[in-house]
This record gives sequence, structure tokens and C-alpha cells, in this order.
Amino acid sequence: MKDTQSNSDILVIGAGIAGIEASLMLSKSDRKVHLVEKTSYTGGTTIKFEDVFSNMECSTCMVAPIQQELLQDKNINLLTLAEVEDVQGSFGNFIVKIHQKARYVDMKNCIGCNACFEPCPVRLKNEFEEGLSERKAIYVPCAGALPNVPMIDTEHCLRFNGKDCHACQEVCMFEAIDFNQKDEQITLTIGAIIVATGYTTFDSRQTPQYGYGKIDDVYTAFEFERLYASNGPTEGKILLKNGKTPKSAALIHCVGRNIKGYCSSVCCMYSLKFNHYLTLKIPEIKISEFYTDLCIPGKSHQKFYEKIRETGTKLIRASDIEITKQGQGIVIKYNDERGKKNSTTVDMVILAPAIVPNGDASKLAKILGVTIDEYGFFKEENQNVSSVVTSKPGVFIVGCSQGPKNIQESVSQAAASVGKILSTY
Amino acid sequence: MNRKIGVYICECGPNISEKIDIDKVIEAVRFLNDIVVVERYKLLCSEDGKKYLTEQIKRYGLTHLIIAACSPRDHQLTFMEVCENAGINPYLFQLANIREQCVWITADKEEATKKAIRLTKAAIGRVRCHSPLEKKEMESNPDVLIVGGGIAGIETSLQLAHSDRKIYLVEKTASLGGLIKNFEKTYPEMHPCSISIQQKIETINKTNNIKIFTDSEVEDILGFFGNFEIKVKKNTNEKDSVSFNVGAVVFATGSTLFNPNKTTCYGYGKFDNVLTALEFEKMNLSGEIVLKNNKTPKSVAIIHCVGRTEKGYCSEICCMYSLKFARYLKDKIPDIKVFNFYSDLCIPGKTHQKFYEQTQGKNIDFIRAKNIEIAKKGEHLTITYNDEKSGKNNYDVDMVILSPALEPTADTARLAEFTGISLGDGGFFAEEHEKLGPVSTSSQGVFIAGCSQGPKSIPDTIIQAEAVTGKILSSLIPGKKIEPEVKVSFISESFCIGCKTCLDVCSYGAITFNETKKVSVVNEVICRGCGNCVAACPSGAITLKHFTFNQIYQELKAAIQ
Repeated sequence: MKDTQSNSDILVIGAGIAGIEASLMLSKSDRKVHLVEKTSYTGGTTIKFEDVFSNMECSTCMVAPIQQELLQDKNINLLTLAEVEDVQGSFGNFIVKIHQKARYVDMKNCIGCNACFEPCPVRLKNEFEEGLSERKAIYVPCAGALPNVPMIDTEHCLRFNGKDCHACQEVCMFEAIDFNQKDEQITLTIGAIIVATGYTTFDSRQTPQYGYGKIDDVYTAFEFERLYASNGPTEGKILLKNGKTPKSAALIHCVGRNIKGYCSSVCCMYSLKFNHYLTLKIPEIKISEFYTDLCIPGKSHQKFYEKIRETGTKLIRASDIEITKQGQGIVIKYNDERGKKNSTTVDMVILAPAIVPNGDASKLAKILGVTIDEYGFFKEENQNVSSVVTSKPGVFIVGCSQGPKNIQESVSQAAASVGKILSTY
Repeated sequence: MNRKIGVYICECGPNISEKIDIDKVIEAVRFLNDIVVVERYKLLCSEDGKKYLTEQIKRYGLTHLIIAACSPRDHQLTFMEVCENAGINPYLFQLANIREQCVWITADKEEATKKAIRLTKAAIGRVRCHSPLEKKEMESNPDVLIVGGGIAGIETSLQLAHSDRKIYLVEKTASLGGLIKNFEKTYPEMHPCSISIQQKIETINKTNNIKIFTDSEVEDILGFFGNFEIKVKKNTNEKDSVSFNVGAVVFATGSTLFNPNKTTCYGYGKFDNVLTALEFEKMNLSGEIVLKNNKTPKSVAIIHCVGRTEKGYCSEICCMYSLKFARYLKDKIPDIKVFNFYSDLCIPGKTHQKFYEQTQGKNIDFIRAKNIEIAKKGEHLTITYNDEKSGKNNYDVDMVILSPALEPTADTARLAEFTGISLGDGGFFAEEHEKLGPVSTSSQGVFIAGCSQGPKSIPDTIIQAEAVTGKILSSLIPGKKIEPEVKVSFISESFCIGCKTCLDVCSYGAITFNETKKVSVVNEVICRGCGNCVAACPSGAITLKHFTFNQIYQELKAAIQ
């Protein structure tokens, strides 16, 4: 692949931590990068977290500088609210069609003052906050989102539903609200593609034994992250549905592992992190952590586990867990290590669901002409050759789109894909 | 110097103008020394705003610029660019954050105005003491030294080798290939391994621009990113040493196995037929799995987590390679009985559980066990252990394979010292940042790949080798100059008392000691401007450019006066 006609521009799909890392590195080597992100913001799922294990660094503080660098980088063309619709051609010369939805807020004029939110009469559940708080029809997902420019949700905005409402436009002093914006069809010629579309989590409703969706105060990992986040719906207060502080909590590992058929590699560590969150905010809380096999690989993780163990938390190797509501409490029935039936009652339950591919992974795979594996993740050609290389030359896969992994491994894969690209052409 | 300072207050639409009495701010700073103009403007970061600023700078012949507006995170670079284009050194500019730090934290207009005045005065106080700083550019050498000829070193060399870049690959043993040349197959696909590594070694031998030194060790590394001086010596001949220059250094020194001799309970070194994982890999590769007496074993125990407690970490790959061993055994001796003694099964990732499920089954048993002890009983080895139900139990087997923890190789500490990087958990090389900088280190231009950074699988090692390739190809480009940090520290020779405190606190190895003059010296190319040395210096001899004592003092003085 040393064709002199090759296009040196790169398309990166997904502006999470892996996509950002790859884009910034490519830009440093003077490559033009088109970074396509389907949401209105950058940072992916990492910005949902308050802290990251095991050094417990503040996640936003870690990511914000590189998000800012990304926005100011002149070699990077960030396309938010955009999705890849079609890819033709081959390594060195791909022709890519991208559909970019209108934001209806001018990125150049808007200064991110958020004045437009208040007058908007529409109230909706905020998806970014896992429905734990409300947003308006014009909104940013959370405080500190970058780019700090709102978008209009046309599905619910009154104006886009036949009503005559200008509430947001009227308060905007910068003429940033533009109802006349149109969706755009963008065609680009590029040389190589990096897929960094990330992951989502297993739908805990599919495991009814844990009571999620039926019992109040049974939370998923993402919900709990937002509950703990200082920029989240409760500004970091851990509260039960009735507004009280929980006196006891249970952490359940491996939710969905049996159904999915793999270990998601990060859940033990993030559950231990949750354990740490809980004792930090509610020092007297009693925690029971239910696991099957502790998977804490790597040089730094056991140290973290040992620190948690010192707090007196109950670590229970359990199977056949069943969660029911009884009176005010949530009862967890389980079989312990010795196979004996046992139970405990808690105020709050936090589930650690498996990492699963994003819903549109298979659609994107079809567009790109790459394979999906039996679990729905993008398939590497041969992991002993390189886990970022696909069967299609010029298309690379990084981060959790390739399989469950932690941030360090995602960043490594992003850098690896850049290595592959820069050493090839 | 005759200063002409211009102060511009951004209204930020209604954001600042409605919540601060901007006229009061103007009034408060208008008659301060050196101020030639104070103005308000509706939106300074807009295209019109930037044009306006450029005209103002030229019209008043401004030498320094103050902007009172938003957070430096938003527009510091924007305004530094305006300065540069209008002919002011961008470091003669200061931004006062009167939006996030004043109007966005209180509804009280009077309070906000008071604080905005203080912050603007502070910025003026500071900018008066600013000195212009100039960007530097440096020629760099694109060549790379790679230490370690295992899979990480081989992959990095192959990917980096290119006509305009020379690679020096140094391996301390007599041949390339590292640990994995002993592996018949790799999990989970059970692909041939030792064959494919041999092919890679052949490719490396044929690749121009890769110079291989086997039986050799790095004797010294001097210099900094873009310009390292390397000395390599032959192990076989003390006097035989060569020197060359490179721009970057990669440590791919791998790992070794925890020595099971350190724990007596496994009988390693005492009893026949107790093997380490590596010894078993070698035996398997040789084609025949046999006992000391040349008989074929009928039962084998594989003990996971050997040395985990002593090392204090999980080595990540032992569960999986132990499963692979069970497969080797089944392939070669179909009616063999295999017992896996484990504590927690660590099989992360999308492909591993399936491998486990397919391995589990007829005559391959998994026993969660504690307090394992191995004793000799006639021809057999007896394994005594506590099972999950805490009952004491035992099994007799013919052979025991130990899966010991991975630990860094003996060179790790020595190489870290050469380059001023530190060792992290478990004595492995410490990465620059646990999440965002897994293959870079605190010394710019020194990279780490593979198990020298921490225990990892072959695919993850290859990923790190490729990541290092990406890092080097995007930062060390042939013909392109590198730009070191501008805001660096410097040490006054006359104030330095030669106590060397600064040498200890510098994480980048940027400070050396001049033995003739008895003073510390900062290498401006290596310094990243963290300020550690400034704070630690007991004689006040160190100054950080753009954060001088006087600049900070004047800023604070103006803020609280």
C-alpha cells in the first residue's frame, strides 16, 4: 500500500477517549482527521465517571484537557451529531458519505452561556443522566460537556412539532439559535478508517432475578456513576428514591455474564471503585459485595482491592443470587461458597452489567465491510498479528468496539492504530 | 522598558455585561501606571473582536495586553494568537477570568464587580513583570534504540524500520525471540507460535536499517528526546563497545518468572517432576511430555497463582496459559487426568471464557483451593489443599506444573536509572500516566512496551509495540524540528548552594550537577516546567520562567490590595 495516489486523510469514528487519542496523535503527524461522533458531545462514556480506577483520578479533569485540545486542533474536523452512511473504495482511497444532523445552534456564535435552557417549556428525561434528571428540548447532556454548545431535540421541540415557540431564540443574545439549519450530506475522500465506537452495557432487565426495573433502589453501574458524579442529577449525593441516605448497599458483579458468555474484564475493578465511592460519601455504610471470580489483572489492581478489603466490607463469593423487595428492605438471597443458602437485607443494590457492543455496531460493520464476531464486537483479523487490524485493509478497530477493556488498553489500541497507519503509508 | 498596556473587557454578550458593572471595572483600572487604553467590547473572541483587538494594538502601539473575559481554557490560545499576529510577544499577555470566576459563581452584582476588579488588577500587576519568551526549535535524530529482542522489541523494530530511520536492536542473550520462542502455541486460537516468531526473526534479519546487537547490553544512555547518546557493549568482550546517537529509546525488556524456590510449599527444586510453566513449555515444544524416569505421566496438577501473594498482584495471563497447558496435555496424552488448582479464574476479554468452557470437561478438573502443599509419596506427588468448603483434601499426581507470577527482568532498575524514569507497582517501569500515557514515561522520548510495563498477554504486548510505533512516528519525524517547552526553570549560579535538593525532586531528569562550579544546571530541553525544583530550592536560586517570584507576588499583591 504505497500508492502515490493515496489520500493521507483519516476518518475516525467515535469521539470517546480512544477516538480522541487517535485523532490527536494523527494531527501531530500533520494528518488531516475527520472525527465523526454520533452524539452532540465528545468524551464518550469516560465523562460519565466521577473517578477512574485504580488511581481514583477525577475523570473529567483527566479528559477535559484533551477534549479542549481536540476542539482547538486545526487538523481535526470534528463532526458531531454525525453518522457514517456509506463507504466505498479501498485502503488509500475510501469515499465516505456522512449524514450530519442539524444542531440548530450555531457552533461559531454560541458561547455556551446556557441562557436558552430556562425558557424552554419542554421537560424530558435526560438520557445522559440515565433518566435520573430532566432536560429541556434544547440542552447539553451535562455541565461541562464539550463542545459546550447545546442542541435542539427536534423530536420534542414544540417548534418542530407545529407550535409557534421561539422561547430559546428570544433569549439568545448571540443569534446562535438557527431554526433554518438543515441536515447535511458530507462526502469525504480519505485514506484509512479507525473505528472507535465504544460500548454500552448489558440491559439488566434481561436478568429478572436481580429485580432491576421492578424494585426501586436497584441501580445499574451507569446510573450509580451519575448518582455519584458531582455534575450529576444529585450533585454527587447518594440517595435512595425516598430521599434518605442508604445505610447498607450490595454490589452485584457479573450481571449478564452467563448470557453473554464472556468476562467483561472491568466490572470487578469498577465495583470495587463503587465500594470506595460509597464509603467515601457514607463512612458508616455497610457494604456486601457479591462476586464469582475476582478478575483484577495487572500490576496495580490488587493493591486497590486490598485497600478496599481493609475497610471491613463483606466480600461474598456467591451464586444463584435473587433479589426481592420485602417491606422497606431489599433482600438478597444467594448460595455462598460452600453451597449453603443465605440471605441479607440492604437499602440499595448496584448491578455491574456486562460490557456489550453498541447497538449500531453491526450496521456500521456492514457499511464498512468488516466482520462482527459472535458477541457482536468488531472482529480483529488475528489478535496474534494485531488486534486493531480487521479483515479489510485500511479499516482499524480500537477500544471497546473490539471487545471489553479498560481505559489504558483502549488508549493503547488507539495509539497502536496510529502506529499501523503511520508505518504503512 | 516603556510599557503601554491595553486592557479590554469582554461583555460576553449579556453574560458579563449584565452581571458586572463593567464601567466600574474600567474606572478602577484606568489610571493605573502604564495603562494607555481601557475599553469594553461585546464579544472579543468573535472574528470581529479579534480584528478589533489587532487594530487597537497597532493604533496604540501596545506592548502588553490584558483581556478580562472567560476561562483561559476557552480562549487563552485565541488571544495569544491575536498577540502574535499583531506583533506582541504572546507571553506579554494575561487573561483575567471574570466570567467563570466572577459572574458564574454569584448572583450578587456588586460582589462580582468587586472580584472582577481585583482579578483585572492582579492581571495587570502580573503582566508588568512578564518577559517575552521565544519558542525554540531543535534538530532531532529520527533513529531509535530498542532494548530487548522479545516479541515487543521485534514488533517495534519491524514497524519502525523505514528507509529514513535506523533501528538499533539490543538483546542481552545470544538470540532474538524472548520468552515466546519457547511456546508451541498461543491461546485462545492455539495458533503455532514458535514458528511464527522464527519467521519474524528472519524478516528482521533481512530488513535493512535494523542493526542487531545480540549478547549485548546498553552501558549508558545520555541526552534527551531527539538527541540521545547510546553506548552498547558486548557481553562476551568487555572492551568491545560501540556508541551511536538516536532520537528515541524503547525499553522492551520483558519479564521473567517468579522463582518458586522462594516458597517451600510447592517442593520446587526439591522433588522431581515439579516444573515451572516455562520448563513445561520447553518440554512440550521438544515434542514429548515425560517424567524424569521417561515414563508418560498419567495425571498432572497445574497450580495457578504461584507467587501471587508474595508479589501482590495478579499476573493476568497465568489462568489462560494454564488452560493452554491442559490442552497441550490432552493433545499429547489423550487419557491423562489434569487438575487445575486455582484461586480466582481470571479470564478477561471476549474470547477467553469460551476457551475455558471448551477446555473444561472430561478429565480436566478445576478445583478452587487454598493452602496448597506438595509432598513426595513414593513415585507420586501428593497435593494437600483446602477446598471451598474448607475441608482438607488431597490428590496424588505424577507431575506438577507451577504457574508463577511474572516479574520485571533484572535490567529494569538499571535502565530506569540511566534515563531518570521511575519504577512503578511491582517494580515494572512506571508509565507516564496510568490511563492516558501507557507507553510513554516521565522522560520524553523514552518509551516502554510489553511486559516491562506490567504483566500482559501477547496480543496486548503487540498492541503496546504498535502504540510505541505510533508515538514515535507522530513525534519524531525525519527532517521535522522539535519544539521544547518554553516555560522552563533556570538556576542562578550565584545563589545556588550546591545542595542538590533539586536533583531529587525533578521527575524528568532535567537537572544535572556541575562538579567544577558546584552548582545545579537545568537542561532546558528536558525541563517541562512543573516547578517542583523551584518549590524545593532552599536558597531561592531557581526561577520558573513565566511564573517568577516577582510575577506571582505582584499578581497577589494587586489582587489583595
